Amino acid sequence: MNWFTFRFQDFSYSFLSILFEGLPFLLLGSVLSGVIDAFVPGEVFSRILPRNKFAAIALSGALGAVFPMCECGSVVVARRFIRKGLPIASAVTYMLSAPIVNPVVALSTFAAFRGQSPWVMTSLRLALGFLLSVTVGFIVQQAPLEKILNRKILDTLPGKLRTAFRIGAAPGAEQDLNAALAEGGPRSRVLAAIQSATSDFLDVAFFLVVGAAITSVFNTAVNQQFIQPLATNAPLATLAMMGLRFLLALCSTSDAFIAASFVSFPFVAKLAFLVFGAMFDIKLFFLYGLIFRRWFVAALGIGLFTAIAVLCLRLTVLNL
Amino acid sequence: MNKTFSRWLPCATLFAWSFILLFFYFSGRIHALLHPTFRPFALIAGVVMFLLACCFLFLPATAECCTDDGCGHTLGRGLGGRLLTFFVLLVPMCAAAAFSPGGYGAAAVLNRGVISDASALGGAPAPRTAVAAADNSSVTEPPLPSNDNSTPAPQAQAQEPEPTDYLHKNKDGNIVLQVIDLLYAAQDASLIRDFENKRVEFIGQYMPDTVNNVNGKRFKVVRMLMVCCAADARPVAAVVESDQPSNIPEMSWVKVVGDATFPTEGGRVLAVVKAKSVTVTDPPEETMLY
Repeated sequence: MNWFTFRFQDFSYSFLSILFEGLPFLLLGSVLSGVIDAFVPGEVFSRILPRNKFAAIALSGALGAVFPMCECGSVVVARRFIRKGLPIASAVTYMLSAPIVNPVVALSTFAAFRGQSPWVMTSLRLALGFLLSVTVGFIVQQAPLEKILNRKILDTLPGKLRTAFRIGAAPGAEQDLNAALAEGGPRSRVLAAIQSATSDFLDVAFFLVVGAAITSVFNTAVNQQFIQPLATNAPLATLAMMGLRFLLALCSTSDAFIAASFVSFPFVAKLAFLVFGAMFDIKLFFLYGLIFRRWFVAALGIGLFTAIAVLCLRLTVLNL
Repeated sequence: MNKTFSRWLPCATLFAWSFILLFFYFSGRIHALLHPTFRPFALIAGVVMFLLACCFLFLPATAECCTDDGCGHTLGRGLGGRLLTFFVLLVPMCAAAAFSPGGYGAAAVLNRGVISDASALGGAPAPRTAVAAADNSSVTEPPLPSNDNSTPAPQAQAQEPEPTDYLHKNKDGNIVLQVIDLLYAAQDASLIRDFENKRVEFIGQYMPDTVNNVNGKRFKVVRMLMVCCAADARPVAAVVESDQPSNIPEMSWVKVVGDATFPTEGGRVLAVVKAKSVTVTDPPEETMLY
């Protein structure tokens, strides 16, 4: 019996079904992201955060519930917020937690795991995401910023505002997004929201397409009997799923559908896949480099990988 | 060139995806891809993508992303990256939509592992009904008892209704059921009593049995059990024993009429149907079980 039998029709059938299921959720997240991008100024976050640093970090970990964002968008937004004066620790906590602790991800996770303990999976994913994000936030709070932050970010901290958007209709000089949008009026804001939503959607859909393709090859061409020993060993399965998620670089709004399709893998392995992937994958490795120095990004990845693997494997005692 | 990437390529991509989603929805091809719960989401996504594409087409796009280092859309940087992005976005989905069949072939089914034992389904929901929706000659009667998709049929059996309350018979007197019903029946003594040696009728896809087929008379009748989408569908199969030599092509849709038996083999109870007739038939409207 062959371990690998590729047939394009089977591949395309599985591939298309993953895209059909994931794209609506990705689109929903992107539309919300676009609206927030264009209509919610960064200062709103600063105003609603408490003055107590620890309370501010904890609250930042839950901000995704109100301001949902997928991981690609959250990096861009976090960097914008840092430049607008939001405390670094709070911005980083939001950046890590928003792709998990948000209603779109909760909804998609619940829907994807229908029939596979959806309440447990959704609750644990959100709880672990929040816990780990806040922990990283506390660590960043204690760390010397000049050693962990990217030099470009450090240069902009004193208050130099740079734009993430250039509005063609606005004056050519660089200016703050909100000021430019305000000049253009509601029509410009709507257009900017559409532009932002579409950019986010197509940008992240790229990774969904790649991920769905890899998953479909795995699902249809690889004889599951040959990986069964891996799937039945919880530690091996957990590490393998986390490694796979790192490489797949899926969007957190739709990765649950792909995780759920690994039916022979244990629950904790799928949980680790969902928690780790939304906080650190190959595309985030590069995106985080826009904020942090490379050594810190690497340390963050190793730390998250280890912590999530240990926490998820500890959960096996609950017979999940 | 920048305008091409910023406006026309996103516009073309959104139109293409919107067309594919809406075509699959309205042509009914989506039935083989998604659970009914998710089909409306695909419709909405198709409409929203169409509207977004129209915005790009008819409204002057003034906001440009990826114009400075403040943008995180790294793939938007550079001609090569942008070309790669739109190639990946457009070509695989269009090719898959063009060549995707309405179901898996035998190789994929075998690779995914055919399940003949309901205990291997784990937490998957039991089917809602044993009434074969595909059989148009059927008379609608109360379905097998089940609890909003979350409780397997054997548990629901605790209410102990009379078999005549839920066993649906067609005009020939055969109990019309689904493949999965036989698997669940094999897990429950009371259901075994209800079905054993009764004439049953069901449809599925023909597949030779290469594992548990000592006398060469057995084959499997397979259906895909879907939870969310075709990617997570698992093949479930009933074992059929027939004295007639079979020259039915692999994965053809067949209707089996026979007597249900539940022998113990290899330490587990197995559903085996002693076939009286096996005929090639048309695929049902819903090829998946939910």
